[in-house]
Amino acid sequence: MGTELGKYKLCVSARSADKEILKKAQDGGIVTTLFKYALEEGIIDGAIVSGPSDEPWRPRPFVATTVEELMTSRGTRYNLSPNVSFIKEATRSYGLDKIGIVGTPCQMQAVRKGQLYPVGLRDVPDKIALAIGIFCMENFPYQSIKQLVEDHAAMKLEAVKKMEIGKGKFWVYGERGQVVQLPLKVTHKYEQPGCHVCLDYVANLADVSTGSVGSPDGWSTVFVRTKNGDDIWSKAIAAGCFETKPIEQVKPGLELVSKLANEKITKNQKTVEERAKFGVNKALRNPYISPK
Amino acid sequence: MSKIVEISPTTRHEGHSKLVLKVDDAGIIERGDWLSITPVRGVEKLAINKTMDQVPKIASRVCGICPIAHTLAGIESMEGSIRCEIPQDAKLLRIVLQCANRLHSHALHNILILPDFYIPGTDKKINPFTPEEPVRSVAKRIQRLREIGQTIGEIAGGEAIHPSNPRVGGMYKACTPRAVTKMYDLAKEGLVLAHEQMDFMIAVLRNMQKRDWTEVGGKQIPLPKTLGYHNQGYMAADPMYGSSNLDEHPGWDPRRWTDTRPWDWYMGEGEVSLADPGYPIGGTSPVGTKVNPQMEACTGVPLYDGAPVEVGPRARLVKFKNYDEKGTWGQHIARQLEYTDCLYTIINALDEYNPTGKVLADPIPQGDGSMGWAANEAPRGCDVHLAKVKDGRVLYYEMLVPTTWNFPTCSRALTGAPWQVAEMVVRGYDPCVSCATHMIVIDEDKRIVAQKLIQ
Repeated sequence: MGTELGKYKLCVSARSADKEILKKAQDGGIVTTLFKYALEEGIIDGAIVSGPSDEPWRPRPFVATTVEELMTSRGTRYNLSPNVSFIKEATRSYGLDKIGIVGTPCQMQAVRKGQLYPVGLRDVPDKIALAIGIFCMENFPYQSIKQLVEDHAAMKLEAVKKMEIGKGKFWVYGERGQVVQLPLKVTHKYEQPGCHVCLDYVANLADVSTGSVGSPDGWSTVFVRTKNGDDIWSKAIAAGCFETKPIEQVKPGLELVSKLANEKITKNQKTVEERAKFGVNKALRNPYISPK
Repeated sequence: MSKIVEISPTTRHEGHSKLVLKVDDAGIIERGDWLSITPVRGVEKLAINKTMDQVPKIASRVCGICPIAHTLAGIESMEGSIRCEIPQDAKLLRIVLQCANRLHSHALHNILILPDFYIPGTDKKINPFTPEEPVRSVAKRIQRLREIGQTIGEIAGGEAIHPSNPRVGGMYKACTPRAVTKMYDLAKEGLVLAHEQMDFMIAVLRNMQKRDWTEVGGKQIPLPKTLGYHNQGYMAADPMYGSSNLDEHPGWDPRRWTDTRPWDWYMGEGEVSLADPGYPIGGTSPVGTKVNPQMEACTGVPLYDGAPVEVGPRARLVKFKNYDEKGTWGQHIARQLEYTDCLYTIINALDEYNPTGKVLADPIPQGDGSMGWAANEAPRGCDVHLAKVKDGRVLYYEMLVPTTWNFPTCSRALTGAPWQVAEMVVRGYDPCVSCATHMIVIDEDKRIVAQKLIQ
């Protein structure tokens, strides 16, 4: 298709140079490292990230204004984290002027839409200083993750060390060393149905988007998309925050990213088309086409 | 033989109002009626049976200039009814919010009144939108003051317009130390600007006070030294914030309040017999236009101790700071004197505020239907809300907003002035007309006597 990866200025495979971040990072620790750099350099005053909550593996969006707070958000929690819900509050009772936000492609769309039409977001658009997007095939409600881990993987949620989606499987690693892999066929029915109309895999609207796909284990693929993103990324590279490799020299490389992006788009396009015919004379709205 | 002039609509203030003036042969006002022609909103009726959390938010929607005052007065009248004391840190945030609103509103009013005045030492009127100095830097200062007020309001209250953070029982969110620092810095910056702006405005006003004439519609109109004088009383609940029935010494007394109907107060039917097509903007109403203030007025006439009273900056200064300057100029100057007070109060409140403190009362009672009231000192005067809440639902709600109090008082203050400067007197009250249109008229026995109009 050719447009599946969106517009980008630069694509590399990268990994954080900070060992502390890598200890608990999902892959290359890109988001945490970039936010840490931006926070320390004053590019952002704080970042909206998702951290641990009272329930195991349920993400809780919060505003991190220090590196210590940021560190608690390392790693991926595979279920919904309404980060955008904090975007206004960050400029209000948190008093931020320059906000960093991380989110899935749909959340990046929401942020950009909010910047373009700031309905209910007075004085917010000019305060988004760095938007980092993460690759996303689909997401799960918390109940789904609970069921997948506790019923399918037969593990207590509290006892899980890490979750991961890779090599066509959903991996659950236990504290005691046990590893369970579930075929993605099993997880499909637990996905959030809203995800099935999304035609964006690699966060096309973010300043910088990143994900594990395309890079070797422990590394992440990074797309630098906007002028702002490029500016911050090149400064972070100059400051030695990341190790990078040209994307062409790593396996499996961009081809796999393209393949998965195309898969997502083709699959979801079908849902979009089905929904257009859903019901009697009452098609569900296609979010990618403005109503006539 | 008196003649009738009608200026409709009046300009450079919020809302829709008009002036019907009975003038003598020399054009001096014998009797003036200033009345609201903004349609009645019916918020009081909408409030019935809504939850106590919803009603203040709905009430704030009557106006976009002082929604903060309406939100706070609404919420505190609910708290007055359910007898809920809020934590100190929540109160401090509300005070910050209140002052931020007043700062921005007074600055906005400066823009609205400046075209009436002259650059001192010249016969050149001020156009706040001109790129020429010295006016441009004044306009920039005014906008910066408004920005500071709105940004502080946004942080403390969630939104500068229709604040989301205040709630029955306190506030939804506490401000972080960073947010407090930001507000503090803004207030410090604003303080310097406020001093400059206050000095500038007072210089302009004193210059105006010394003038013998002003130019209106191409004519030189004499300015009486007693412009805007009246013999009515003053009403203010607090120098800065407000009062409610929960206070040990309440600043307002519901027993002293009665209402009268507009048809018992305003002039009856008449016909315009004097017109001036050269009057800005677009001339006065043509000769032959029918007027009937009694029936056109969209407000009740609230009385305090049986007479109309003035509310607003001058009333606050008269009541609490021994201010004694009368008339339109005295009113304007009182308003400028409040500029710095707003910022000092913000700074003091932030000094006292503890970011880790509690901002929500626990538990929040649901109310037994007893009466509660809150009088909030909005930028343009005392804004009283009354409510009865039972089991979390509103049984009764009433708003007595500043300009409603000022309508009859200002009408009296028009007497003796040339009709061409009547609008200048009106602007001295910083009118906010849209929220002033309420139509529940209550007699001495607190019976609703004009309910028909709103049903």
